[in-house]
Amino acid sequence: MERIGADGLGRRWRDANRQADFDAFTFYLDPRKYRPAPTDWIPRVIPGEHWRVIADGVAQRLRAINRFLVELYDGEQSIVPPDAVYSSRYFYPEAQGFRPPKDVFVHIYGADLVHMGGGRYVVLEDNLRIPSGVAYQLKAAEMAARLFPEFADGLEIAPYDIREAYLDMFRSIAGSEAPVCVLLTDGKYGSAFFEHRYLSDLLGIPLVEGSDLYVGRGGRVYARTLGADVPVDLIYRRVEDLEMFVAGLREAYLDGKVALVNAVGSGAADDKLAFRWVPDMVESYLGETPILEQPKTYNPQDPAERVHILENLDTLVIKARQGYGGLGVHVMPDLGAADRARVERDILERPDLFIAQETMDFSDHMVFNERTGAMGRRNVDLRVFAVQNGRGETTVFPGGLTRVALPGGRITNNSSGGLCKPTWVAG
Amino acid sequence: MQTDLGGGLDGGGGGGGLVASYVYAARYGYSGDVLHNDNQIRLIPREGEGQRRLSATVWTLPKGRGVQYGDRFGNAVHRTRVVDVHTSFVVATAGRVSLSAAAPEPADARLEDAQSPPHGMEFLLPSPLVNPDSVSALARDVAGGGRSLLETVRRVTDWIYREILYKRGTTGVNTTADQVVEAMEGVCQDKTHLGLGMLRALGAPCRYASGLLTGQVGETHSWMEFLHPQAGWLGADPTRGVICPPARDYVKFAAGRDYTDVSPIIGSFLSKGEATDCAAIASVKFEDRESDLSEAIAMLKDAYVVATA
Repeated sequence: MERIGADGLGRRWRDANRQADFDAFTFYLDPRKYRPAPTDWIPRVIPGEHWRVIADGVAQRLRAINRFLVELYDGEQSIVPPDAVYSSRYFYPEAQGFRPPKDVFVHIYGADLVHMGGGRYVVLEDNLRIPSGVAYQLKAAEMAARLFPEFADGLEIAPYDIREAYLDMFRSIAGSEAPVCVLLTDGKYGSAFFEHRYLSDLLGIPLVEGSDLYVGRGGRVYARTLGADVPVDLIYRRVEDLEMFVAGLREAYLDGKVALVNAVGSGAADDKLAFRWVPDMVESYLGETPILEQPKTYNPQDPAERVHILENLDTLVIKARQGYGGLGVHVMPDLGAADRARVERDILERPDLFIAQETMDFSDHMVFNERTGAMGRRNVDLRVFAVQNGRGETTVFPGGLTRVALPGGRITNNSSGGLCKPTWVAG
Repeated sequence: MQTDLGGGLDGGGGGGGLVASYVYAARYGYSGDVLHNDNQIRLIPREGEGQRRLSATVWTLPKGRGVQYGDRFGNAVHRTRVVDVHTSFVVATAGRVSLSAAAPEPADARLEDAQSPPHGMEFLLPSPLVNPDSVSALARDVAGGGRSLLETVRRVTDWIYREILYKRGTTGVNTTADQVVEAMEGVCQDKTHLGLGMLRALGAPCRYASGLLTGQVGETHSWMEFLHPQAGWLGADPTRGVICPPARDYVKFAAGRDYTDVSPIIGSFLSKGEATDCAAIASVKFEDRESDLSEAIAMLKDAYVVATA
């Protein structure tokens, strides 16, 4: 920092933002407004000893959750109460009795963690449907290393390459050496379109929209190209409601005509109430002790737990069960009296829609205020990505995407206005 | 889709009760192709309070894939998801129940003894369509300050029966208890919500019951159940002006805090079009026979139009 100097930092910062702008490094909140993904370029460095615990813990959760989904759609699971899982909008009854290729439901997993200090990391959420951010992780870390090389002085930064892990996963899931894979996007106005384009380039797989695919002869899925239409073996989908994009796709999938990453129905374990039972999944399915902790989660539908929630409401976080992107998250200690009363009323009226968690007092990180030229500190979390291939092996990518909360806030999601921050693992 | 839920411990006999068979059918129309239709159906008879389920079947047209599970109130839920393209959707159910013929004759209790936590507490709290605070002044006027549970329930039930005009078409599924007082009219659902609000304001835990009236052809019905410290859940029907009716008066499908917990059919569909109309009909007869899908479909020609867009 001293070597760059305050003026130098401001100048480099503007250069980095300009480059992000030119590279279409975007995260849209409003699709009509082009804007680069807001980024704080000062890297966060995670010590290697912390990282090894994180990586083992994330891989462990991924294996346990995948096993839960296999049992759930087989009609066997007895860990999560039936009401909690069968009423979820992301549980798909039509997938009952279905086993995805190689029994993998969750090929790409995003775990949201916070650092409590002293190397103690806690998982706040599991993202199992169409988690985004891995390209933001790559792009931000790569740009920081290139544009601010001084930050890396004296550090041995763990290299990472998601390309091989992804392609190997595609091959092993499709069961072929050279499968035809496509990335299905919701289009260039989707919030994370940058990532769809970036991954399509990196992995060398075509980027397609729903209208480029159709279900044709023999129930197979075809991609329209300028020459002949090509049968597709695997779809890396970045949309939730498949039928809305390609008629008949879900049926083709359930008939085994095409592989999907992630599988239909993986979101049943994404529910914030189901989250509560992940430690039980780890113990029961793997026979292991959970490596990573998670906050205590309370269910307002349970009479005794509801009493606890009401008595401790001012200290808890209330989350909408099926919210995402930080929407429907209420950090009660940070709210005013009127908002607290409204949340209390909501939770009493619809206890089936919410969960309560203990509030985490997690770590902050240095951030630079470009406008004032001052340094400050803001809360940060960490989204770590992992893939699981058809042989049941997992790869956790070193680092992750650090997300910075708004000043004074504890909600870090980019959909809620948070910043990205490059993240390195060193030593 | 066809699911046989069975039921009954003795395989068919009434066990001293009366056997009734019921049929229910509902049809939904849409202005465009529906790509998927995902619904939670609460039209399977509940066990308890003088009712036993002998058999129950749920059908949908087109057929879907489904699961059954119990919700947190102990209701049987049939969730089914249709993925064949369709422009109309039919839900039909049929089955047999054994119903106790004798009316309960509970000893009176004090109002404050009805609040046996933790079970009762949930049924005193506000719920989406019933805010006890909004009708508490009315409740105190009507109840007259007595401490007797049965007398309080009787006064509230009778008052709603007499004063709230039974009128169709002026209220909807989202009408709240205080809106019923404003309008002074409504259907069984509205009368039930108002009664629940008043009883909760007076400290008597009570819940919303949904089902069918026996011995007639018509729509679904709703009534209240209040918690008695010894006798458990007892009925009070402000549409009929009756308290502690015998189980034989109803086939009960579900119980919850208010209508939002027990909607007979609730879900979502994916379509470029809209829902255009919905019609439903039900029938209960005191006879021991199984009805089939064709019988349910045939009934639909006389169905009540529930909603039109």
